[in-house]
Amino acid sequence: MSTAEKRIRIAVIGNPNTGKTSLFNTLTGLRQRVGNYSGVTVEKKTGIWNMPHGQDVELIDLPGTYSLSATSLDERVAVDVIAGHEADSKAPDLVIVVVDVENLRRNLFLASQASELGVPMVIALNCWDVAEKKGLQIDSKLLQQRLGVPVIPTVAKRKSGTDELAKAVERAIETRPMMARPYWPDPVKKALTTLKDELVVKRGESLREGELQRLIFDRKSAVRERLKTPASEHEPIIKAVRDQLYKDGFQPDAAESTLRFRFLNPLLNDVLERQAALKKRSKSESIDQLLLHKFWGLLVFIGMMYVVFQSVYTWAGPLMDLIEGGVGWVQGIASDALVSMPMLQSLIADGIIGGVGAFLVFLPQILVLFFFISLLEASGYMARAAFLMDKLFQWCGLNGKSFVPLLTSFACAIPGIMATRTINDNKARLITILIAPLMSCSARLPVYLLLIGAFIEPQYGPKVAGATLFAMHFIGALVAAPFAWALNKTVNKGRKPIPFVMELPHYRVPQIKLTLHRMYESGKEFVVRAGTVIFAMTIVIWALLYFPRSAEVENEIRAKYGITNDTISVSNVGEQIIANDLEEAISKQIDAAYLEQSYMGRFGKFVQPVFAPAGYDWKITVGVLASFPAREIIISTLGITYALGGEVDEESGDLRSTLSNAKWESGPRMGEPVFNIPVALSIMVFFALCMQCGATLAVIAKELNWWWATGSFFALTSIAWIAAVLVYQIGMLF
Amino acid sequence: MRLDQIKKGGLFRVKEVDCSNDCIARLMSMGLLPDQEIRLIHEAPLGDPIAVEFNGCHMSIRLSDAAGVEVEQIQ
Repeated sequence: MSTAEKRIRIAVIGNPNTGKTSLFNTLTGLRQRVGNYSGVTVEKKTGIWNMPHGQDVELIDLPGTYSLSATSLDERVAVDVIAGHEADSKAPDLVIVVVDVENLRRNLFLASQASELGVPMVIALNCWDVAEKKGLQIDSKLLQQRLGVPVIPTVAKRKSGTDELAKAVERAIETRPMMARPYWPDPVKKALTTLKDELVVKRGESLREGELQRLIFDRKSAVRERLKTPASEHEPIIKAVRDQLYKDGFQPDAAESTLRFRFLNPLLNDVLERQAALKKRSKSESIDQLLLHKFWGLLVFIGMMYVVFQSVYTWAGPLMDLIEGGVGWVQGIASDALVSMPMLQSLIADGIIGGVGAFLVFLPQILVLFFFISLLEASGYMARAAFLMDKLFQWCGLNGKSFVPLLTSFACAIPGIMATRTINDNKARLITILIAPLMSCSARLPVYLLLIGAFIEPQYGPKVAGATLFAMHFIGALVAAPFAWALNKTVNKGRKPIPFVMELPHYRVPQIKLTLHRMYESGKEFVVRAGTVIFAMTIVIWALLYFPRSAEVENEIRAKYGITNDTISVSNVGEQIIANDLEEAISKQIDAAYLEQSYMGRFGKFVQPVFAPAGYDWKITVGVLASFPAREIIISTLGITYALGGEVDEESGDLRSTLSNAKWESGPRMGEPVFNIPVALSIMVFFALCMQCGATLAVIAKELNWWWATGSFFALTSIAWIAAVLVYQIGMLF
Repeated sequence: MRLDQIKKGGLFRVKEVDCSNDCIARLMSMGLLPDQEIRLIHEAPLGDPIAVEFNGCHMSIRLSDAAGVEVEQIQ
């Protein structure tokens, strides 16, 4: 037996907003591992707790839940872990229930449910200080006596009570105290016996009493999914037991809450004492008078979202420039060092270093966003934001919690998709992730600016140009609304909706240490897990743009200019300058020719007919294809194809005038300009809707899986193509 | 009277709950049971959802779900 198997395992459960995670962090320090429970997207956090007597125990931070009714994934995971049904691990040796003193009755409901699963228990009465300040006094000794398990007052934030907790836990591992359980009336006992007889005795299921209760009391218990007995067999059994309970006078859906609170209420007599001086209205309530006000609350909300959006959009900018600058600098050094080996030079400078830069550049936005998300969540404001916005999202299966991720996606879909972790309804989370890439992110801006600057502004003036830019930012959101609705009607059909009831917790002051930790975790996860995929993708695209690169291409261009060898002979300074200009022009021509001859270029010419209905020639098509890893690449690709070099940007006058003068080289429209207003609009609409971002794909794959990532890639690309064709065809009618 | 019809300022008592509604089932495990006192504390700017207070909890609930709770005014 290895030491890991012998190690004591302790699960920590509690209602949301009880300071459970704060206590977990205090006990484990930063020695934590974050992963997923097998098969579900519920985050699994484990850590090591050094006990005073030198023993190391493994702590498991279960998701915060109000009940173990096992209707949501979080609740199911909690039941599975405590009952020992999680893959490859037995039941924990002990459960620590974190209880918020201010909501003692409700919190003990969860403890009472957990006690039915037959695991020894210690209760941590958290937020002791806040309760004392509010004039709330709790007789923890009396409570301990009545519940039959140790009850330890703690203040997780200030590490107070943790020594007492450790001592109580060490003792409890030996003495295995069990919390007092309700005395169930006869009909419930009968139901439990019948079900145990049918499932455990006759069919060999391994179910604890608490799990049998879940099957009886919860209409759609997730425990059913775990039964070995087929649904056709277990469903009638459970239904018969529930029907019998109903006949005996207990409505099964209501029985548990009613009976359990009937058991808990007398236990709390004399335990809780509110001092007479207790203010009628708490501080949180006063704050909510403003923050949930129909007018002022909305105003504050808009202001706050403006700050969040602005910071992701602009404040991360200097850091991103710094990273881009740094990457460029390293690229420069690498190219200089490898100038004698052109292929290696291109692979390392453009492929590898460029590939690393391609995902590192998103890091500042992720860190900035998670700084704010952590503050919004820890303070309790996130729930208020969701409350204010919920109505806007109800009709398409989303809820108010989708707002912050979607708003963020206007800056960048990557942090936006990562932010969907704050949505605990998986169904709403799925839809939010799938529509997030439709929000017009900042990488689309250069494309809009280039085309609007080149075609809309010269013809219609700055007002129309501004309106076009505005419209481009909203077209994605416009398409997203029916898309979300359709997704909800199809993909989510038949899935259990998660009830949207949400606590508005007391406001708390966020802890800066936890905020920094959250930023670090999200940044690390992005770099390690999404980064590798993005990196691989950029290398592949690099190869497609680089190869086959036969030397003939270069020789042909040089021959066209009448130069046979590599050097141009010069006799004076003036000739030298002309020669340099010529050399530069030639090398840009060569780059353009190489791109045309590359696999990507050939592929672009091959699929150009697909994009012909949208008005694209092969050069635009290659630009579009090369932009699939990152949409802003189109600018430099167009620069190369039009022999202006890859260093052009959206403000470049050369690029704008070259595009305006570009003519069809062949086909029925030979000699006509390639770009006109409908083509420019069609390209912009395509970029507004298409999933041209390898990093977003990698993040979707990480948050959901590759099926969803691939599916959304094809879905959004088709939508973009259809919209681009419509815009062009309709535009050409005028 | 139903919970989606109550006004600010009054105090209400729960008479009956529709436990086949998942939202309400969840609220029941927090103590929203017959005889529990409840009051409306906030309405969202668009009128839905509402925030109610009972048993020391401040909960947001949508009007469509609140319709499953029968209440009577006591104050």
